[in-house]
Amino acid sequence: MAEEEQSSAVYVYGIVPGDVEVTSDARGIGGREVRLVRSGDIGALISEIEVHGALGRPDDLVAHEGLLDAIVTEVPVLPFRFGAVMANEKAVGDELLEPNREEFAAALGALEGQVEYVVRGRYVENAILREVIASSKEVARLRDEIRDGDEDATRPQRIRLGELVYGAVEAHREADARALSEALSAHSVAQTPLEPTHEYDAVPMAFLVETSKRAEFEDAVDDLTHEWEGRVKYRLLGPLAPYDFVLARR
Amino acid sequence: MTTAIQPGGGGGGSSSSGLADVIDTILDKGLVLDAYVRVSLVGIEVLTIDARVVIASVDTYLRFAEAVNRLDLTQTETSGVPGLMQDMREGGARDKTKGVLEAAGDKLQDFLGDVGGDQKSARRRSGEEE
Repeated sequence: MAEEEQSSAVYVYGIVPGDVEVTSDARGIGGREVRLVRSGDIGALISEIEVHGALGRPDDLVAHEGLLDAIVTEVPVLPFRFGAVMANEKAVGDELLEPNREEFAAALGALEGQVEYVVRGRYVENAILREVIASSKEVARLRDEIRDGDEDATRPQRIRLGELVYGAVEAHREADARALSEALSAHSVAQTPLEPTHEYDAVPMAFLVETSKRAEFEDAVDDLTHEWEGRVKYRLLGPLAPYDFVLARR
Repeated sequence: MTTAIQPGGGGGGSSSSGLADVIDTILDKGLVLDAYVRVSLVGIEVLTIDARVVIASVDTYLRFAEAVNRLDLTQTETSGVPGLMQDMREGGARDKTKGVLEAAGDKLQDFLGDVGGDQKSARRRSGEEE
């Protein structure tokens, strides 16, 4: 079979237990119907997709995550990386599910009754800058120097000043990540730090939380959010599929 | 165990989420299909999405410096620092400011603009209503 010639293929969202029922109104990427391909006690969530055409528009990403997040509060799910496409449903059963059944079933068992949350923090710019200025004579001096100076002439001072601010943000990240980790460890079964993606981001942290303890975890994050208000703006994402807790086999 | 999967169901997240969050949440995450399947892989072009990582650069430094330069220290300041933070503070800074959440909001807005997404259409479905 020449794969280049087929016009439609199968997009794979993730692995779920085989006894899951997918309702006919469940929709995935491109608004396509989501179906389950079963193999014994496991199954793969799939939908049809056009081979010609690119993936990765905002709606595609949202549809991928939306489906996985919507189900994780009900059943365990092993999310696939965005863009997983196979030739047809038969291949999903024969090549993906059948040979890997034990591994997938074990992983689903391990994740049963747990969901992921991500806590993202953004430092409040003015608050952190004030701290830096007040805590370092060098910063205060450099600030005065560049204040009235010519932009090009004070470039070295600007770079040095920025470097000091960056270092201060880094120091906050480290300490805050530790504090966040400690504050929430009692309410979660696992945790992992993620990469900051913005200059004023605190270290985002992913937590695996038992479904039965969701309220408790969310309350604990609420408390932290209030406690650190004005200095860090924390946001809670979730419940999410366990994107940061599935083992990526290579 | 039999569980019905419905679109947007499942009790949903309490926080709304923009495209930037979706990208951060799923990009480069999850099982890699290639690790499990050899034959029937189908390569569909995946639009390039820049992995955004924070890297210290001269540009970053200059932006920070500009932010310091813009900062108006005469603004009303209020004191009070969460107890958790006391031990790691570097100096004697006791003051922080309120009313700066909007500024942080602007930043996020800029950032979402950079990603080039329509924030509204990219919101994750939440809750039971659809």
